[in-house]
Amino acid sequence: MTLQTVYDFLGLFYGPLFMRKAALALLLLSVSASGTGVLVVSRRMAFFPDAAGHTVFAGLALGLILGLPVAPAVLGFGVCVGLLIIWLVRHSNLATDTVIGLVFSGGVALGLALVSRYPEAQGSVNRLFLGDVLTLGDGEIALLAALAAASVLFYVFLYNRLMLSCVAPPGHGGGGRADYVFGGFLSLVVVAAVQAVGVLLVSALLIAPAACGRMTAGSGRGMFWTAFAVSLVSGQAGLALSYHPAVNTSTGATVVFISIAIFGLAVLARKLRGLAAKG
Amino acid sequence: MRDTAVNLPQDDAPDRPAPGGGASCHCCAAAASPGVGRPGEAGPHPAAAAGEARAPCGAGERPAVEVSRLGVSLGRYEILRNVSLTVPPRRQTVVIGPNGAGKSTLVRAILGEIDHTGAIAYSPERPRFGYVPQRLDFDRHLPLTVAEFMALGRSRWPVWLGTPRRVRAESLERLAMVRAEHLHPRPLGSLSGGESQRVFLARALMADPDILVLDEPATGVDVIGEQLLCEILEGFKRDFTVLMVSHDLAAARAHGDWIVCLNRTVVAEGAPEDIFRPEIISLAFGIHQSLLFSGPAAPTLAAGQGPAPAPAGPARAGDAAGEGAAGGGGPAGLRAAGGPGR
Repeated sequence: MTLQTVYDFLGLFYGPLFMRKAALALLLLSVSASGTGVLVVSRRMAFFPDAAGHTVFAGLALGLILGLPVAPAVLGFGVCVGLLIIWLVRHSNLATDTVIGLVFSGGVALGLALVSRYPEAQGSVNRLFLGDVLTLGDGEIALLAALAAASVLFYVFLYNRLMLSCVAPPGHGGGGRADYVFGGFLSLVVVAAVQAVGVLLVSALLIAPAACGRMTAGSGRGMFWTAFAVSLVSGQAGLALSYHPAVNTSTGATVVFISIAIFGLAVLARKLRGLAAKG
Repeated sequence: MRDTAVNLPQDDAPDRPAPGGGASCHCCAAAASPGVGRPGEAGPHPAAAAGEARAPCGAGERPAVEVSRLGVSLGRYEILRNVSLTVPPRRQTVVIGPNGAGKSTLVRAILGEIDHTGAIAYSPERPRFGYVPQRLDFDRHLPLTVAEFMALGRSRWPVWLGTPRRVRAESLERLAMVRAEHLHPRPLGSLSGGESQRVFLARALMADPDILVLDEPATGVDVIGEQLLCEILEGFKRDFTVLMVSHDLAAARAHGDWIVCLNRTVVAEGAPEDIFRPEIISLAFGIHQSLLFSGPAAPTLAAGQGPAPAPAGPARAGDAAGEGAAGGGGPAGLRAAGGPGR
């Protein structure tokens, strides 16, 4: 069993099985979140993961009401909202941040309204607020693995086009259908990541590593790999640290905090470098 | 009169070297002394060339772009009306006209980006376009090198895995064509206005374009950068069809082979020496351009004859063009257009 091999390998670093699972989940998430995060930051859509993340409440409630299985309902609803945002950005005269803000509030309002009507959904809502990477089941890890594989394909086939539309004029490279694929895919990544770190922190999981990359790298290639490295390091370090008896904090929050701390160091390093250059 | 002017014999005019052609750039000479013949030419050109007819295309050549009766409306607002013009192949065609004349809209229609009425025929039938946008308001803090930028649209190989050697060589070659190969390793955001304009030009060349389209390439570029751009474009003339929108009348006059004067419709179309005449320019721009033709030649328009300085309604602009052409009897070789009879 290959998965067992992976767990055995992770056993070198982490003792309990749930820790190994969490480590694998965070590893897979950093593959999906770092590159998409770079695109999110480059395309100035940093608010998008927040909006997509908050749709999980409405998705969850709709799933419960309509009697659908929860995971597909949440993922499906998230993707629909992502596509809606892209469509609105392209077909209205509103700026991206306005559209995202509107859809964000709309999604939250719908979710809260539905949840207040169906109190049985509230338990799941609390879990989604904070997320819990330590209780992920095999099914969820399989989903993250599929998403990581899809991310690699996405990076190979669409990364250039989406990056190009940050610099080239509209209609001359980039954009088009790739925008919709990006919106849908980004929503999938966000909704999957919500399970690990919760709605409140999901945005930082994508944005902070990308921001580090942008601060320190001098090329597109450098930005991508820096973001991945920061994502990987903060994920694993956050997991290890949060489990340490002396620290003993929530894993998702610790992961996000470490990535933000790395960002702080990157800002500081840049300042110092600037000062050194001035002599 | 208008009909004979329009139906020019296409092949009786020999394909003589274009004015302003040659190795050196006369951009600054023309800019410094508008209306005066450029150094190295026999005689003051506007007067000397006035009687000559010059077809836009050489013998047997089809126009690179032929626009007929094109109209563009945005909602109820008519931006372009009954536009018919020709873009000769392997020449530099410059579209001039006041703000709001619809120059950029015309370019977008030719690029096939917006809905329009009328017809646009291309030669070759499906040309590859290279496009250099007007304003380069990209994200200047995005860490992306010039080399990566050049490779982005060209290569399927993802940029995060580096740039393939073949694409690298190709982009260096294109950058060399615009004298910017030294910018290869620089971050895109660190370039000056003129440098980024040249890099965007090089990127447009990556597509091996049949038609190179530039929308006011001199916007945000200093004098030296503009002169360099002029020189580079001058060198491209024989290889590409260049279609350019320009505000710089002096440069258009010095470098353009074919000038289209646009104000919601085609006010006039012709060789530079036929277009850069006070009566034509003031028809297109209003009376302001008398500044360009200081001295006794400055036009004095009777009230109500020409369009107001602010772009008049499309109907009026067209009428004015018609009047001007009929009344003034445009010079031979000039395509006065715009009336519905065209």
